Amino acid sequence: MNRWFGLRCILAVALLAVMAAPRTAANAEDVTLTVWSHEADEDAKVAFRELAARNLEKAHPGVTVKITWFEKNPLLAALKTALPAGQGPDVLYVEPDWTEYVEAGYLEPLDNLVNWNNIEPWARQVWMHNGKTYGIPQEAYTNEIYYNKDLLKKLGVELPANAQFTQAQFLDLVKKARAAGITPIAQGVGDRPFPGAYIVGEALLRKLGKDDYRKLWTGKLSFEDPRVVEVFKWVKELVDAGAYPKNFMTLKLGESHYYFYTRPLALMLPMGSWYTGRAFVPEDKGGQPKDFPLGIMQFPAMDGGACNQCKTSAIGASFAINAASKHKELAAQFLDAMSTPEMGKMWIETIYLQTGIKADVKQFSGPHAAYFTELMERQKGTDYFIGGPRDLVQGQCKDSFAQVTNSAFPGGLLPVDQAVKMMNAACYKG
Amino acid sequence: MLQGIGSRGRREIDARRAAPATLTLFLAPALLLYAGFTIYPVIRTFYNSVQTIGPQGQQHFVGFANFSALLQTDFVFWKAVGNTALFTIVATIADVFGGLLLALVLFARAPLAPLLRIVWFTPVLMSYVVVGIIWVWIYDYDWGLANQVLRAIGLGAFEQSWLGDPHTALWSVMATHVWKWLGFNMIIFLAALYALPGEVLGAAELDNCGWAAKLVYIIIPMLRPTVVNLLVLSFIGKMMVFDLIWIMTGGGPLWSTETVSTYVYKRAFDWNTFDLGYPSAVAVLWFIIILAFIVLMTRLLRQHDRLEF
Repeated sequence: MNRWFGLRCILAVALLAVMAAPRTAANAEDVTLTVWSHEADEDAKVAFRELAARNLEKAHPGVTVKITWFEKNPLLAALKTALPAGQGPDVLYVEPDWTEYVEAGYLEPLDNLVNWNNIEPWARQVWMHNGKTYGIPQEAYTNEIYYNKDLLKKLGVELPANAQFTQAQFLDLVKKARAAGITPIAQGVGDRPFPGAYIVGEALLRKLGKDDYRKLWTGKLSFEDPRVVEVFKWVKELVDAGAYPKNFMTLKLGESHYYFYTRPLALMLPMGSWYTGRAFVPEDKGGQPKDFPLGIMQFPAMDGGACNQCKTSAIGASFAINAASKHKELAAQFLDAMSTPEMGKMWIETIYLQTGIKADVKQFSGPHAAYFTELMERQKGTDYFIGGPRDLVQGQCKDSFAQVTNSAFPGGLLPVDQAVKMMNAACYKG
Repeated sequence: MLQGIGSRGRREIDARRAAPATLTLFLAPALLLYAGFTIYPVIRTFYNSVQTIGPQGQQHFVGFANFSALLQTDFVFWKAVGNTALFTIVATIADVFGGLLLALVLFARAPLAPLLRIVWFTPVLMSYVVVGIIWVWIYDYDWGLANQVLRAIGLGAFEQSWLGDPHTALWSVMATHVWKWLGFNMIIFLAALYALPGEVLGAAELDNCGWAAKLVYIIIPMLRPTVVNLLVLSFIGKMMVFDLIWIMTGGGPLWSTETVSTYVYKRAFDWNTFDLGYPSAVAVLWFIIILAFIVLMTRLLRQHDRLEF
């Protein structure tokens, strides 16, 4: 009896397995396109991409676009394990500094797959590696200093006509704000490896000019260069003058927005122009108050700066096709569906942010039209450096950028010479 | 021995013994899962540790180069080792002996003991994510409870950026960790205390033995196996600490809370590379160190004279 018991169990399990097997033949023509996207917490972007998905589904009956929404770190962890295993989605969210995906061959070249007529050439350029294009640039942004117009007025300071203070004036402004009990810069690095480096990064760009700035972050210019040291000394003066909040090290990105425009209020918030993603949502969802006196100023001009009209412009959210995808054509059509001029217009009008999609928007309407007009005003005469430091650094240098330039140095934990030495040791290749 | 059982007894034993096919059927799922999710990853990690994995998964055998770089030039690794060692030693001692203390308070039927038991055990039920977020708020410089309390009691001079200062960050995370796990150890000790033979404790009371003497000469010696087990388990857990650190500080500021586990994760997933060789070398080295410490601890704490009661 026992002898047969095992055999009967095996047969029973096999029978159950057969009964539970999915019936694949019935819906063989149906295709599900899988998309993994970051920015789950930004409603306007979620709506934008979901609309593109629904549009594609309408145009292709039988196609289902399934977008899985992630926060950035879980997305990175998922991609880093799924792609090497030959798995992963058909379409994936990517950013230009994720170069390892290109180098590893996990992204499909898009040159002959998507419609490039709808994409700004300069934005496409960001995604070009060895003559091939690997990503559709969706989000573009510039680094700006957002400020509270009322607080600036309260301090008795007037913004220069070109909206750019000198470095001495900026230091003076920080001191005045601190003396008046106002936090000068509502910045925090609690959950991001870059916000603390806005001031020092933009100051270095203006001081060094575009070429030397690129050399600095690619290990071809020493951090001990006197111009770099000068910038670090100026930033140290800002830090010592109390530029940043006391909870700088733990203040998270979302909290820094709230700190700036709601409580306890701060004079300035240096940020990519994707500031709007968090600020221009209803107040009960953490957005800025309706009557908030928002202004935009340029980063300060450096004494003897090689390019004081320079500014960082970068591509953020982009999408790529998994090289292992079985639905590359369809995936390309989804990328196209997100990149039509109409969608570009929608991006600007609902997300209030620049884009790499060609969109014919000359006049802005809606509740934030004045903001967008001012943002465009700040772009006049600008010489753009495309890409931020994090797009250029790798490995130990990237980690040191996060720990030193982004965090410990602006957090007041390091003197200039030590910060310079640590960055040089990690980044300078001699 | 079996000869004495007789043929009827032997038949009964045989009847209870499952056929090989049955055994295989029932063991196979667990063994497959174990092999797939434990044995294979371990073997693969050892294999990867002597490779450099390039684009497209190309592997190059590099021998012990990863280990050599790790031991000779990687200052972050050594910083992480130091932090992990400090965290492990201090938090283990605080966890285990703190838990014992709380258990003794409850065992002695302190006022409000049932309520205290719930309060002290509740943190154990909370996930690291929740605990981490709560404590990041508690430690916030401006609006955090820790500094608010200090200000309220006139000790404003001691307010700190608890997680933002390299001198206090690791200790702050440690305090959170201890807060979370004290209750667990307390419950284990409490169960062990209630399992102690009443006649021994009763005899001690008849001999007019005071509380302190009873604790030192009777209770703690009899709890020794529990203490040893908790020490070893706690030690292993803390050598691999990741979640809380990752949520609260991400290893910063200035690597002051970097642990070996957070460093492995960073090297594997945060360095613009798919090379799992180097992080695997870190993991292998750490595995060997943990194993050595466990063997050492078990030998040192092994009880030679078995208690009899």
